[in-house]
Amino acid sequence: MKIYTGGGDQGRTSLFSGERVFKAHARIDAYGDVDELNSVLGALAAALPVQAAEIGPKITGLQADLMKVGAWLATSPGSPALAEIEALTTADAAALEAAIDQLDADLPPLRSFILPGGHPAAAWAHMARTVCRRAERRVVGLADAAGDPSRQDHYAWLLVYLNRLSDYLFVLARYLNHVTGIPDRMWQK
Amino acid sequence: MNSGLAPPTNGSTEVYAVRLLKRRRLDGGTFEFTLSRPDGFSFRAGQRIRFEHPTGERDYSLVNGPAAAELQVCVRIVQDGQFTPRLARAAIHSRFDISGPHGYFIFQPATRPAVFVASGTGIAPFVAMARSGVRGFRLLHGARTADGLYYQAELRAAAAGYVACLSKAAAAAAAPPDAFAGRVTAYLAAHLAPGAYDFYLCGRSEMIRDVTLLVDRRFPASLVYSEIFF
Repeated sequence: MKIYTGGGDQGRTSLFSGERVFKAHARIDAYGDVDELNSVLGALAAALPVQAAEIGPKITGLQADLMKVGAWLATSPGSPALAEIEALTTADAAALEAAIDQLDADLPPLRSFILPGGHPAAAWAHMARTVCRRAERRVVGLADAAGDPSRQDHYAWLLVYLNRLSDYLFVLARYLNHVTGIPDRMWQK
Repeated sequence: MNSGLAPPTNGSTEVYAVRLLKRRRLDGGTFEFTLSRPDGFSFRAGQRIRFEHPTGERDYSLVNGPAAAELQVCVRIVQDGQFTPRLARAAIHSRFDISGPHGYFIFQPATRPAVFVASGTGIAPFVAMARSGVRGFRLLHGARTADGLYYQAELRAAAAGYVACLSKAAAAAAAPPDAFAGRVTAYLAAHLAPGAYDFYLCGRSEMIRDVTLLVDRRFPASLVYSEIFF
């Protein structure tokens, strides 16, 4: 099966809601970052140590969530096409909070900034966290540009979810170093 | 889709057993197949079913509306293909496994005029939309010859405007008197007034690409919804 059509060869692409926009459009930047985050999570999953095998299904679930996030971002506020997309809910953010608390319970207290790195899976988790923060900033920009509060609401759940997801990825990075016996490197001023 | 970030699938992973009930030849190489409709199988006009076959998955848009008692698909037989020749030869009451419904090619009511563009068996979802009550659309129905204008009478009755676009020049003489001699892109470039439309495109990737690029140039404020037949 061919996966190319050439319809975007002149720099435009179609949103899920039908609009044709330049590929440099802020909305494309936003879901492009989410796409990148999903790819980094794939690398993270591939690097998981056996000591953290139970994290694998969680990563798969996050990747599925991000497909929904991307579809939502690819759809303009107010479009009838939104009815075709399943949005995440506060329960998904709450599940992330529970996962953060569970991982954090095993970790030593954090007393200073840490340098990203350690086990390869932890390094990927840090990379995912930073891409997640970039995606979050893009969504903040979209919400800000939306102007009308009712249109800003379109992004409300995304901002909560991405904020919580980056927190989860930070704690996950520490957890992966912890279970593999690699101490976090503290920032020395 | 080549965006790298497709919408999440809306199709059930459940596999249903269906039976082939009827086969009707539409032209030399294309058939309409009627299948039994499984209990609890619901869909919306414009969606696809997926044949889950040992040789691989094959997606086909449903031709009928959601209220129909059966399922119908329109299939061009690929002579050296692995699946369609078997479908063409299958005995009535043969069993096939399907999943679905799949896809998001759903009519979205809007104030902009709707322009449907189909080529070949890409007419299928538009037939389903017409059968589910969608009206007021303009349809550009592309085919090589008049034989390929499947469901023409039904679509003419439902459309606010119907144009048969026949790409094989010699065929135009035997075509409907109001047929356009040329591809759908040529018609759009020369005869559709500039403006903002909702375009719905279904057909082969080359047609989708050509129409999409034309829309970018000539109708840039328009929306484009596409369903590609690979």
